[in-house]
Amino acid sequence: MPRFLPRFLLGLAVGLAAGLLYGWVIQPVEYVDTAPNTLDAQYRTDFILMVSETYGAERDLGRAQLRLASLGPEPPLEKVEAAILYAVEHGLSRDDLATINRLAVDLRTLSSPTEAASP
Amino acid sequence: MRSSTWLPWVLGGVLGLLAGVFYAWRVNPVSYTQTDPTSLRADFRMDYLALIASAHAGTGDLGRAQERLAVFGAEGIGETLGALAQQRLAAGYPEAEARALAGLAAALGERPSGLPLTTTGTPGATPVRPITTTPRPIRTPQATSTRALTATPGAPFQLTRQELLCDAEAVAPRLQVQVLDASGRGVPSIEIRVIWDQGSDRFFTGLKPELGAGYADFTLQPEIAYTVELPGSSALVTNLEREPCTADQGGSFDGSWLLVFSQPAR
Repeated sequence: MPRFLPRFLLGLAVGLAAGLLYGWVIQPVEYVDTAPNTLDAQYRTDFILMVSETYGAERDLGRAQLRLASLGPEPPLEKVEAAILYAVEHGLSRDDLATINRLAVDLRTLSSPTEAASP
Repeated sequence: MRSSTWLPWVLGGVLGLLAGVFYAWRVNPVSYTQTDPTSLRADFRMDYLALIASAHAGTGDLGRAQERLAVFGAEGIGETLGALAQQRLAAGYPEAEARALAGLAAALGERPSGLPLTTTGTPGATPVRPITTTPRPIRTPQATSTRALTATPGAPFQLTRQELLCDAEAVAPRLQVQVLDASGRGVPSIEIRVIWDQGSDRFFTGLKPELGAGYADFTLQPEIAYTVELPGSSALVTNLEREPCTADQGGSFDGSWLLVFSQPAR
């Protein structure tokens, strides 16, 4: 009996390591049916770039906001500004930056009257 | 070996394994917040594709659209976009979105060849090869008046032409439909219904504008006989199925059917 506990604990540690190896490496969880708000930052930024490119042609700010809404509950402007930061950090082209920035500027003008009215 | 020797190992190992898997799968699973577009739920994935198409329509940058689509795999993506355009139009999404999807599908080469266009004239449309199989009866439009043809809104469409197109270059045998008004112009957004013994589908004209505003197509599956109708019209074509054509070098391939529906002249 005095030898039971060390063996048990050692067995537990080996089993735990094997379980983690299996769960993280061999057979990791595969997420399906996810929503756009779980997208990796790279795809998230590209999503916002696509919204910006479409907005550049359509000039429909309401539709652009609707598209951005699928990325999560944060305000649209916040998401676009985050995309600009990512774009700057990862060296996206000046044209792409300008495209996203155009949407950010228009979203900012849309949100500024509300901000001015608030106490 | 006595049980007192291996029992603690086995017990500890099994419990540890269960705890490890539980931790790795439930407590702290891998990269939940760093997914890629392929893991999106089907409706979000379709929205993502539509956004790629809308961005392409806005910028005209096909290379970038292809890069974005690459994550979904190249296999059949054009067809998926074409089908999505039809679905979105049928479901009442903005027409601009459906057109963007259809435009990208066309840009990716998802377009039939060998379509004779008599209306708007499509650059690059190849002439129709002679039919080498026994053709179905073709109704020739009858000129009933010498007056200038004018559009007749609301007048029912009639089948004015049915022809087997033998084009070995065609990607797949298709049902190609042209819907024309009385003046011979293509009519967009006309619903066409196809019915077969185990299902039905519908598609719309005008989603491949480079082939004419009144053009629409549908891929014919082997060994299925289709009935084609224009809702609200008496125009009905039955028993339409793949028909073999003879290739120039011998052998055979399945041809595409062309149906032309027209409004009668006033």
